[in-house]
Parts: sequence; C-alpha cells; structure tokens
Amino acid sequence: MVANFPKLAGLGLMALLGSTSMTLADTTVEFWHSFNNAAGEALDEIIAGFEAENPGITIDAQHIGNYNDIVAKLQAAIPAGREPDAVIMEVTRYGLFADRGVLMDLSDHLENDPLKDDLFDFAREVGVFDGKTYIVPFNSSTPVLYYNKAIFDQAGVPEEPELTTYADILAAAQQVQAELGDEGISGIAAPGQFARWGLIMDNDSDMIDSVTGDILLDAPNTVEAYEWMASLVHEYGVASPDGVTTESQGRDAFLAGKTAMMINSTGNYGRSKTALGDDLVVAPMPCNKVCSVPIGGAGIGILSTAEEEVQDAAWKFISYAASAESNAIWFSTTGYMPINRHTAEQPLAAEALETKPGIRVAIDQLPVAKGRPRPPVVTWMRATEYDMWQAMALGQRDVTETLDDFAARTRAEAERLAK
Amino acid sequence: MLRKLTPYLFILPLMAFLVVFTYLPIAQSVNLSFREWDFMSPDKPWVGLDNYHLLLSSRDFWNAVKVTAIFALISVPLRLALALAIASYLVRETIVSRLMRGALFLPSVTSTVSIAVVFSWVFSTDYGMINGLLTALGFGKVQWMQDPQLALYVIIFVNTWKQLGYDIIIYIAGLQAVPAELYDAASVDGGRRLHVFRRVTLPLVMPTTYFLLVVSVIDAFQVFTIVNVMTKGGPAGATDMIVNMLYRVGFTLFDIGQGSALAVMLFLLLIALAVLKARVIGRKVHYEA
Repeated sequence: MVANFPKLAGLGLMALLGSTSMTLADTTVEFWHSFNNAAGEALDEIIAGFEAENPGITIDAQHIGNYNDIVAKLQAAIPAGREPDAVIMEVTRYGLFADRGVLMDLSDHLENDPLKDDLFDFAREVGVFDGKTYIVPFNSSTPVLYYNKAIFDQAGVPEEPELTTYADILAAAQQVQAELGDEGISGIAAPGQFARWGLIMDNDSDMIDSVTGDILLDAPNTVEAYEWMASLVHEYGVASPDGVTTESQGRDAFLAGKTAMMINSTGNYGRSKTALGDDLVVAPMPCNKVCSVPIGGAGIGILSTAEEEVQDAAWKFISYAASAESNAIWFSTTGYMPINRHTAEQPLAAEALETKPGIRVAIDQLPVAKGRPRPPVVTWMRATEYDMWQAMALGQRDVTETLDDFAARTRAEAERLAK
Repeated sequence: MLRKLTPYLFILPLMAFLVVFTYLPIAQSVNLSFREWDFMSPDKPWVGLDNYHLLLSSRDFWNAVKVTAIFALISVPLRLALALAIASYLVRETIVSRLMRGALFLPSVTSTVSIAVVFSWVFSTDYGMINGLLTALGFGKVQWMQDPQLALYVIIFVNTWKQLGYDIIIYIAGLQAVPAELYDAASVDGGRRLHVFRRVTLPLVMPTTYFLLVVSVIDAFQVFTIVNVMTKGGPAGATDMIVNMLYRVGFTLFDIGQGSALAVMLFLLLIALAVLKARVIGRKVHYEA
C-alpha cells in the first residue's frame, strides 16, 4: 500500500486536474430575462438546443420579472458588482444603459456574423443607438387591434367592420356602449402607453423624432392624437377610467369579455386567444393619417463588465436565439414577431401561421413598422407620460396645455442629461 | 477587565448588525445626497447642495409634502380614535371579544400588496363591488381612484383598515393595565360612562396613545406599497406621497442623488416631528396611575 502510494497519488492528482480542467473549460453565461409560463418554456427549449450544440457553454437563465423588475435588480447588482453577463432590455430604454457604458458594443460581433444578413431591417435597426449595435432583438412586437367578435355581434356591429380610422373605432365603440353599456360592457379599453405611441404614429407624428431627436410632444398631430384618446374616456365614455390609472385593468377587462376592443402588443396574442378562443379577432392598427406602427419588445444585450470569454459565449447564444430555427420556436409559441427573414420557411412557423391567423396581422404590418427613438431622455419621458396621460384622459387638464408643459419639461430634461 | 467588557461583547453582534445594515447605509445615503449618480456610472461627482435645491424648487416635491401631510393629519387621529373606541369594547375577556380581536388583527399580518390588489378591484369604477352596490341602490358610479378629490381618501381608508388591528391590540394591552379599582371608585362616585372615559381611561392610556402616535406618524410618512400598487401616485399627483416620489426619482428616473436627498429630508422631518411630539405631548404623559 505504502509502495503504491505515489502511483495512487499521481492517479488521483491526474483525475482531479482532468475534472478541474473540464470544469474550467465550461463557460457559464448568467442571463436575466422576463419570460415565464409558455414564453419561459419556449426560451428553455431554445436554451436546451443551444447547449446541445455548444457543450462547453451553460446558459444560466434567470426569470427576474418584467422589464422594470430587471432594471430595478440591475440598480442593486451593478454597484455591487453582481450584474449578469447578458440581459433582456426593452427597446426604448436600453439607450440610457448604452450611453452609460453598461452595455457592450456588439457592432463587430454582428458585422462578422452571417446573422447580419438574415435579420429583418427593423430588427437590425432597433438595436442601434448612436450608430452602434447594443442589443439584438429577441421578442419583437407591434401593437394590433384586438376585438371580441361575440360582443360586436351582440351589439349589432357589422361583421369584419372597417376599423381603419379613429372615427371608425369610435363609432364601433359607441355602438357597443349604447347597446351593452348597461350590462357592464364597454366599447374599448383605454389605450396603454404602447398603444398610445402607436396611435400617435398613425396620426403621422411621434413623441420624439427618431432621426433628429426633436421632442414632438407638442406637435399638432400629437396633440390631436391625445385629444382623441382622452375623449374616449372623459367625453364619450366608451373606455373605462380604470384602465387609465391601472393599464392592466383595461387588458384584464378585455380578457374577461367586458370590453369589445383593445389595442395592445402582439405579445398578448397567446393569452388573448386562450381567454376568448374563436371570439378573438386581430385587426391591424388604424391608419388615421398614415400607416405606421412602433416596434416594441426587447432585445438581448451583453454587459461590458463580463469577461471576454463569457462575452463571446453570450454572443454565440444571441446569434443562436436569433436564428431561423430558434425564432420559429419563439414565434410559434408566443405570437411575438419573427426577426429572421427565414423564420417563415420553418415548418413550425408555417404551421403557426396556418393555425393562428391572428399573428399574421403583425407580420403584415412589418413594412410600416419602425423602431422608436431611444435617447437617454426616453426613460424619463415614458415614466412622466403616465401622469400626463391620466390628467388628460380624466379631463383634469386641457390636452394642449398639458402637452406644452410636458414637452418643455422633456426638453429641459434632455438638455440636463446631455451634459 | 473581561467582566467590564462582557456586557459589550453580548451586544456586539447586534450592534455590528445595526452598524452594517442601518447606520452605514444611512451615512452612505447622506453622502450620496451631495453627489450626482445614476447607479451606472463609476463616478459620483460632488454637487454640494444642488440636489436639495432642485427638490426645494420642484413643485412635485411640495405636492408630495402636502399630500403626505394631509394623509397624516387625517389618518393618524382617525386610526387612534377608532382603535381606542373599538379596544374599549374588546377589552373584556369574552369569547366574542377574543374572536373579534383575532379577526381585526388579521389585516396587520396580511401582505400589503395582496390587500392593495384586492382593494384596487373593490374600488374599481366599472367593475368594483362598491360601485356595483351603489348602482344596485340606484346611485351613480363613483370614480374612487380617478377623482383627485377622492383617491387620497381611498388610500387613507385602505391604510387604516390594514393597520387598525395592530393599534387595537396595543390599546387593549394599555387598557388592561388600568387598575380596576379606579373604575370601581368612579362607579361608586356615580360617574357616567363618558365622564369615566374622559377622566380615568384617557389619561391612563396616554403612554399607549403616545407610543401609537409616534408609530402611526412614522408609518403615515412612509406609506408606499398601497400607493404604488393602487394609484402609483395618481391621479394627477393626488396620492403622490414622499416615499412614492423618492422611489420614482431614485429608481425609475435613476437619480440616486436626488432620491437620497429626499430620504435625508424625510429623515430630518420625522426627527423634528418626534421632538415636537415629545415636547408638546410627552409632558402630558403619565406613566403611573
């Protein structure tokens, strides 16, 4: 035993070194995301496929909550040096993080990856801030107009009604309200912020000019859009004020069959279909003056503090997640839009388009979809817009006066952030 | 030497915990209140009193102070008065009293978020139970959380509903400490119920009242969860209290400097109120019958 000890020790040391070296060769990418339920399962499937093809890389995916929860957790993690390696970031809010150097410039990675040519133009554009790419879209969406066919039938609204202008939508909502208001059914859910942005763009305006960065909150067409949206609540009474102070209540009322129409993200398609079944109809956004829809959702960014080896591994995952095969899994499960030109060719995606016709509406809107501006002031602007909207929608403040005030404050804040 | 050190060694772990998790963060917060920081940048440049100046010249700040003051001025006396009145009936040791105490205390130990979510729906304009009842009785719907004149009272109601049980239990303990002989003597002297309450009960539960006053004022100035879940400070800033503004400025708008300045100002305000209470009311508190 004693004579054999050196051999045994040597074998043991080799075994230890071997296992250690195998462990060291494994790279783990800590990835914070906002997906649970069906979306979480789809993400798990994509991750499993990636890890099978990349045995040396482990994706430690952690569901943190919604986009705001992720940001809140980053606020504690970054100063503590415990930030993740990759993170899901909402498409209008990542600009602030890119500006502050939190996110890594992915331009070179994308330039050298065949993925570059496979992404739709909107998908490439939406991840660009200040001329550089900081995120690659993962869950992209546009707002669409959902309506409950059964409620429309009950209210006597014609089948497949024309809903292409503000006036069309108001007319349908008023008819529902007149016929079914006493039964507690309202015409339309008060538009949430994403929907409001879409309705402003449909009116040939924007909140911030995506090219020049000019604040357009007080532009005539923006004011007109807000006046119409606010009138749905306080003038015509076709939208419940509950949805103004708590946006999720508007959506929940629609899912419960208490509201005829809702303008919301395609990302809500899955749960809307589950709630309403065959009564759910998906229509494109109105084109009040022009046809234009905002891109929503989020993309995956890599934190600049991650080690180089981890950054490379994270990029491999991002590229894999944006591939046609992975995107088809994502698209067919969630209703978020395809970001890869070849996604529709995948059998899964083709089947989804056949069996879930509602999601084709979002795809058909792609030619008129555009990314929203994302300078650092957008975070402040979006947070403050809720109060402004409430004041206008509840009839507490005049729309023009409110937007003039809001525009002035936003310009001042943009100037302060630029220093 | 060791004998002298021993008491300090016993309290050392707790003191260390307090220093690390309470006093150091307070000191750091004060430090950050004089700096500009968005939690992302490695630099935290010194800006002196700029954050305080920005806050003091901000209409949002004064609105938050006003809303918080109104909230405290209404909710604190309401809580104390209701708690004392109910405790006076529940101080008796009967089965019904004990059951009622348990039932009233339940909201105090229930998740504030859950309570706020439920009451959001109860007070919902179009789908809420209260408006459903009003409609059934022939009245119109009330915009409980969309009317700036009403929203704050909804928050006061929910907060009072949640905290009342705790106040009642504390008052019951205080009432049970009042010597029974005093009530017997008052009864013999022909004292009426209200008279006895004013002359015997009220002065002798003053220590309890003082304690609850301090606690409920601090609580009133730190209300956050109910506001954040139900109204997020709206409509039109009608329920935007100091802590809600602190969260918005610090964590939604990433201005840690201003958020810290607001926290420091709140801290100083609460200290000032505590001193004021001690001077004005503390003197009238009698700790023995």
